[in-house]
Amino acid sequence: MNMPERILLLVGSPKGSQSTSNALGEYLLKRLEGRGFESEKIYVYDTLKSDRNGASLLQSVDSADGLILTFPLYVDNLPSQVIAVLELIYEHRSVQKEPRKQKILSISNSGFPEASQSETAHAICKKFASETKMEWIGGLALGSGGAIGGMNLDEAGRMVGNVRKALELTANAIAENKPLPDDALHLMKKPLVPPQIFTWFGDTAWKKVAKENGVQDKLYDRPYQIEEDS
Amino acid sequence: MKALILDGSKKEDNAFNTIIDNITNFLKERNIQVETINLGGLDISSCQGCFDCWIKTPGICIIDDIGRIITMKMVQNDLLILLTPITFGGYSSELKKALDRMIPNILPFYTKIGGEIHHSPRYDKYPIIIGIGLLTSPDQESEAIFSTLVERNSINFYSEKYSSVVIYSNDSLESIHEKMAKVLVEASE
Repeated sequence: MNMPERILLLVGSPKGSQSTSNALGEYLLKRLEGRGFESEKIYVYDTLKSDRNGASLLQSVDSADGLILTFPLYVDNLPSQVIAVLELIYEHRSVQKEPRKQKILSISNSGFPEASQSETAHAICKKFASETKMEWIGGLALGSGGAIGGMNLDEAGRMVGNVRKALELTANAIAENKPLPDDALHLMKKPLVPPQIFTWFGDTAWKKVAKENGVQDKLYDRPYQIEEDS
Repeated sequence: MKALILDGSKKEDNAFNTIIDNITNFLKERNIQVETINLGGLDISSCQGCFDCWIKTPGICIIDDIGRIITMKMVQNDLLILLTPITFGGYSSELKKALDRMIPNILPFYTKIGGEIHHSPRYDKYPIIIGIGLLTSPDQESEAIFSTLVERNSINFYSEKYSSVVIYSNDSLESIHEKMAKVLVEASE
């Protein structure tokens, strides 16, 4: 009897279990569990707080057959602590004689409607895989991630229909050991809501929360402005 | 002209120490007032993704540490130099920790730039960005990712001018000076 394959989900958002990164990863993980995979989940930020050298995380990486890395796009890139974990994995594997050639999939979500803004971040994931002798199977990029706001995708309604389909196709591809289908990449990239609605809603929501916080008149403050000499 | 160098090399990264000194001296010799912050030696908290810097304390991160001061300095200099060992094509985690904290310097509201949605600027003026990537040897893929990343950052940081360069650990002093001169010209054009 074959042992079931083991998938490690690394959730790379500081918001941990409340994050959209977790919602995306969790949905995919459940589909893989339904196809006979074993799974483990690590919240990167929480783990590094208690274990700066990531010893337990590295042990989990070693025992996994495949890795799923989910993260929010921060300044065109992976968040700092996710990069720190990739650095740790790289150092750890660089002293291993024959590191296992695990597969790795990256899933990003950004606060901008255009999923394409995450391309550089996925290029970094791909480069990480090649330098650590892993096999990068692709990067799923979602725009307007804020619209999900960490909701369970099973309960997020029609808005995330394409996201669910993309993750189903991804789970099938992983289970069948096939390349990530183009359909999965394209469906994930489709805007959750029209960009004009997303930006209008976003701008309105920021103002509403600022008003609740009593800072609606300070939103445009420039605390670090240096006055030019007259 | 005032320049802020954010040095994202790790404390134990001795291979690059001389290069970093050479870069700093090169700038000082051209009457550029340089402040270098070695991020590897600092305990900077990670951005929590809370957005309180937009909707609770606009323009100021709620985490009161050196990261907040670096964010202030980022917008108060004419030139921002992002110095990093190129890490999988991108920045080291040390440099990225400081950059993740810069979002108070922009506004939550959206605007369009070149057909893409971005956050609006909070200030009228932002520094020129120069990315200096350090590599032990040439690596086309890494260098292409690095150059694109600096370009993408310049859009979100509202830098009207930007440039990037890659320096190898075995570059001669002359070669470093040539590359630095070129990148400064590119960034000021």
